[in-house]
Amino acid sequence: MVAYMPDQDATGVRDPADALAAVAALRRLADQLEDAAVEQAMRSGWSWPDVAEALGITRQAVHKKHAKRLIAAGVKLRRRDDVRG
Amino acid sequence: MSAVDELLAAVLAAAEDEARHDSSPTVEARHLLLALAGEPEAITQAVLGPVGLDHQGVRAALDREFEHSLSTVGFSPATYALPRPSASPDHPRLGSSAKLALERGFASVARKKDLRQAHVLLGVLRAEVGSVARALSLAGIDRSALVDRVREGLARSERPDGEEAP
Repeated sequence: MVAYMPDQDATGVRDPADALAAVAALRRLADQLEDAAVEQAMRSGWSWPDVAEALGITRQAVHKKHAKRLIAAGVKLRRRDDVRG
Repeated sequence: MSAVDELLAAVLAAAEDEARHDSSPTVEARHLLLALAGEPEAITQAVLGPVGLDHQGVRAALDREFEHSLSTVGFSPATYALPRPSASPDHPRLGSSAKLALERGFASVARKKDLRQAHVLLGVLRAEVGSVARALSLAGIDRSALVDRVREGLARSERPDGEEAP
């Protein structure tokens, strides 16, 4: 939550260097969060389609980005026809 | 592989490990700096050591920059208590900040066979914006003084009378 301060610009950050660095840091944080959250979901038995829908991206995209890493980490991935329990 | 290629390959391999540890899909300039801080190369150690930038010091400075940059828009990474994700088995790609650092490092050497790890350090330190420059600035470290010290170290090692082991 960004507090509104009248003497600052729309992003609430005075220095453009800070605003740009914040964008880079948020992207980094989002990537880390995505890795952690997808792994947590798949470890708890979520399916790829559900994870993809929750993230708002395609199943192919989420699979391409995470499958190899999770398989290497020994996460037991659900098959397509398994039912979420 | 030539000696130069081996030196570079060692730094890049260490930087890839740093990227994986960081859950980063790309190797960035900050990973090159972490890798260099962990290497025993003489010029790099002589420049980074006295300002407290050993491997742990670099990591602390980078973490502080990350947290500071998030805090400027009201975020704190500490609020998220998700478990650490498993590392990817893939080779992280070279990201744009690392490419720029390597280009700048290579630009500072006349003959490729003279390329050393200190040139890579020079390339990393020459970036005026980005997370490394900000991390050094937040830690109160004079980046341009470090650039000068690397240049001096390289000039000394390139003189025949001051020959240092490659």
